[in-house]
Amino acid sequence: MTITNPEIPLNHTPGHIKHDGHNLTGFIIFLCSESIIFLAFFTGYAVLKLTSPEWLPQGVNGLELKMPLINTIVLVSSSFVAYIAERYLHKSNLWGFRIAWLLTMIMGSYFVYGQYIEWSELAFGLDSGVFGGTFYLLTGFHGLHVITGILLMGLMLVRSFLPGNYEKGEMGVTSVSLFWHFVDVIWIILFILIYIWQ
Amino acid sequence: MSTSNYDPRILKAPHPVPGAPDNWKRFFSFNTDAKVIGIQYIVSALFFLLVGGLLAMVIRGELITPPADLVDPTVYNGLNTMHGTVMLFLFLFPILNGFNNLLIPTMIGAPDMAFPKLNAAAFWLVPVFATILMASFFVPGGPASSGWWSYPPMSLQNPLGRFINGEMLWITAVALSGISSIFGAINFVTTIIRMRAPGMGFFRMPIYVWTAWAAQTIQLLALPVLTGGAIMLLFDLSFGTTFYRPEGGGDPVLYQHFFWFYSHPAVYVLVLPIFGIFSEIFPVYSRKPLFGYKVVALASFAITALSLIVWVHHMFYSGTPQWMRNLFMVTTMLIAVPTGIKVFAWIGTLWRGKLRLSTPMLFCLGGLFNFIFAGITGIMLATVPIDVHVGNTYFVVAHFHYVIFNTICFGVFAGIYHWFPKFTGRMYYEGLGKIHFVLTFIGATLNFLPLHWAGLLGMPRRVASYDPEFAIWNVIASIGAFILGVASIPFILNMISSWARGPKAPPNPWKAIGLEWLLPSPPPAENFEDDIPTVINGPYGYGLNKPLVEDEEYYIKRAQEA
Amino acid sequence: MTSTHTNKRNPNSRAILIVAIATAIDLLMSILMAHWSYSWFPVQASAAAPYVDQLFSIETGIGTFIFLGCTGVMGWVILFNRAPKYDEEDGDPIEGNIKLEIIWTIIPLLVVFAIAAYSIKVNETLSTLGPKQKYRLSDNPSAITSVDRTSIIGPIQVIARQWNWEFVYPDGVRSSELHLPVNQRVNLKLISEDVLHSFFVPAFRLKQDIIPGSVISYSLTPTREGRYRLRDAMFSGAYFSQNQTDVIVESEKSYSDWLTFSGEQPLQPGLNPSQPLYARRLEKGDKGWATVSPAPAPLVNDPGDPSASHEA
Repeated sequence: MTITNPEIPLNHTPGHIKHDGHNLTGFIIFLCSESIIFLAFFTGYAVLKLTSPEWLPQGVNGLELKMPLINTIVLVSSSFVAYIAERYLHKSNLWGFRIAWLLTMIMGSYFVYGQYIEWSELAFGLDSGVFGGTFYLLTGFHGLHVITGILLMGLMLVRSFLPGNYEKGEMGVTSVSLFWHFVDVIWIILFILIYIWQ
Repeated sequence: MSTSNYDPRILKAPHPVPGAPDNWKRFFSFNTDAKVIGIQYIVSALFFLLVGGLLAMVIRGELITPPADLVDPTVYNGLNTMHGTVMLFLFLFPILNGFNNLLIPTMIGAPDMAFPKLNAAAFWLVPVFATILMASFFVPGGPASSGWWSYPPMSLQNPLGRFINGEMLWITAVALSGISSIFGAINFVTTIIRMRAPGMGFFRMPIYVWTAWAAQTIQLLALPVLTGGAIMLLFDLSFGTTFYRPEGGGDPVLYQHFFWFYSHPAVYVLVLPIFGIFSEIFPVYSRKPLFGYKVVALASFAITALSLIVWVHHMFYSGTPQWMRNLFMVTTMLIAVPTGIKVFAWIGTLWRGKLRLSTPMLFCLGGLFNFIFAGITGIMLATVPIDVHVGNTYFVVAHFHYVIFNTICFGVFAGIYHWFPKFTGRMYYEGLGKIHFVLTFIGATLNFLPLHWAGLLGMPRRVASYDPEFAIWNVIASIGAFILGVASIPFILNMISSWARGPKAPPNPWKAIGLEWLLPSPPPAENFEDDIPTVINGPYGYGLNKPLVEDEEYYIKRAQEA
Repeated sequence: MTSTHTNKRNPNSRAILIVAIATAIDLLMSILMAHWSYSWFPVQASAAAPYVDQLFSIETGIGTFIFLGCTGVMGWVILFNRAPKYDEEDGDPIEGNIKLEIIWTIIPLLVVFAIAAYSIKVNETLSTLGPKQKYRLSDNPSAITSVDRTSIIGPIQVIARQWNWEFVYPDGVRSSELHLPVNQRVNLKLISEDVLHSFFVPAFRLKQDIIPGSVISYSLTPTREGRYRLRDAMFSGAYFSQNQTDVIVESEKSYSDWLTFSGEQPLQPGLNPSQPLYARRLEKGDKGWATVSPAPAPLVNDPGDPSASHEA
């Protein structure tokens, strides 16, 4: 390695070979790990709810269901739209992909907006006992993931305009849409835990 | 050797070639070469071993006499907390990540890690959280002082009421360390799954790779739980929530579950790679194949699986109901079975071998000797009625240090000596190595063995002062600790002088079998580059006369000529 | 382990003899260690102590046998299987032995199951730990009942603080030291007012964490008269190591005499071992790292005797 003849061409680029094929493996491993944090929060929530001598803060009778339910429907259906976008990309229909992808982003943003409205109307805060704490922790941590997902989708959207971006594969889009489905599934569990199980 | 000997295109590569003029500078840059990152990890970890060791010296200095007379008890508690934190998060985890970086790619014939940039980012988080942790010594009120468990509500007391306090910095540092570990784990696991040399099926991987994989799986599955728990602790401390505060309906015991769900398996994250190092080194220096390779490999994952269902044994007296205590006693004891398999396999490997007692072998033998002892006290601690007496006493401290120092650190030293020629290209001095071993073994035994008796008599852990009946055990322990301090001198001397002017190392000084030994010492930037050998046999073929790879002669010759 | 000794060679009488002698020595040493281990503990002062010591002794015996067995083979190998200086050859290429591997999986499995089964039986016999009840910190924990029908004495409230102990008897007597009658099962109600503490009496071989926000019912039977140390075993902050007091186990008569006598005494400040240290720290200018200030001394009928020497 140390002494090579410059006449002979190197059959690989100096420095690091791109290992695109590993990105999806790595990303799936990351998602598994990430889901464990949520699992920890969910377990903590369930334990505190079942054992705490005082759960709801004074003057709070529970959570309103209508608004979050609309939010849930929007977020869950956005997953299907993301899937359609992926199919378009697979068929090399770039504009179809871009439109469906943008729609997913808009639906995600609507969810974040809905969450913001709900938060601003609540009568309890982060420091209102274990109920307030767990509520804001879970929805806030999930919301952060939704925002991250939207930003990542924006990045993918911009990259779709780069010529030849998808010649080597669609690993980025596959990963982001996987992330989006993950965020979605987490929300469904969260919705059941916080809103349905009252 | 002048610069012109190098292919100019390689000099443009992001990582300088070994021996090139700016060779040393790469260790202080955002270098993406796994071998550079490995050495960065190991050297910075060894620096923090000295820091943590210094803290231990102050602790043992305080405990050499019964009253709290050397430092104020608050200072003692802070130093005690930082000793544990530094040793775990700044010494042991980083140094094993260093080994992973050096050994995984070379052992499986990969040019580098799957995600080199993520790898470098994971390393550079270490100085970041190290700085945060060290800065906590200088904030008003001092560093975190609630022990490395940081149990609430004590850890939430924040006597000065400031937003920036030692505990807050501690949680931040631990959380960042967690992120770094997750980055590392994703990288190591992906690399092992996706980047093995042709022909290297799972059952042809060296045991070190198996154990690293098993250990990193624990990081992925258990560490996020601690991260979640730590986020909740930070919110309780700084943002007014009451997850763990009983006055707001919270539950302090919930934190203990989160903490131990990770922090018990964390010990297996540390000890599994050490089992790997044992399994690599015993065959080399007894010139025999590893006894029962497949079972040893699978036992690693048995340990991983069991390690995730034992955490409540740290909470036998935390008000845990009886059925739960019984259940977790059984699961904990079951871990003795896969570990026992490994211990017997190592002894089987030694049996009728041709032993060479060089420094790495001595450290491994010493480590195994201590580990058998630690395993037996481990079973005692898993027994509920005994744990109810000795839990939270010096018996636990003794057992823990028998695992963490007398086994894991012995394995770390063995690994450093064994692979030193490979990755520095220089031989170490055998004499200094042996002095290091003898002093370490004597110091460690004097330090940690007597503490078992202090614990049996009922001396609680973490005390700054104690009743006079425990004095004798503490005096012996302190003397042992100071010997351990002295033992670091020959080690440092050896490492620095050998690396600077030790004799040049051949590619395979120990006549070992393994892909890393088919590379030049030190290996070039991308190991085998595109000329990756095809593995045709399992590892550890000592005495079997089966080549490890196709065209083995070619690779041996190439490594020697490099 | 030792069975490999005859591997690959015809079993000869010499090898069998060596293995037999080694096993006999190992066994003898294990029995000696098992007996010796009783002397490593403080005196046995509760019903739990003999069980704990016996379990420990059994495990010491088994542990010694395994430890000496393994390290004995290691020692043998180091002595007799070293490669001569210029011997570059490899050892016997043994790759494994299925029979042996099955044996050393099954035997440890059986041993740990046996130990676990016996421990579970001991746990059930002692049944020290009663229910743990959570309560709102705004409520008074004294109002929460702690019933253990098998107990004769109690419930005695054990209140732990940073950093002192207070014991409140059913008839209202308050004390800084825990007085218990010998050979009577007593029920304790463990309460913490601030952080985690742990009720630990080494002579009793018993330990139970005290959790703020929960009342834990705990029962034990002292079996030997004497004065024993009660230590806080769960790290509780700056003066954690000072947080100890004594348990006095006495005859039924002295116990009831003490109760009557103490009931007549006026309330006065009880033991508060961290207070003088904290006062000295303040005098020196409050140097050191931050700590909460110690709780004030509890007002008790019997302030205890910090100078009395304890047995264990």
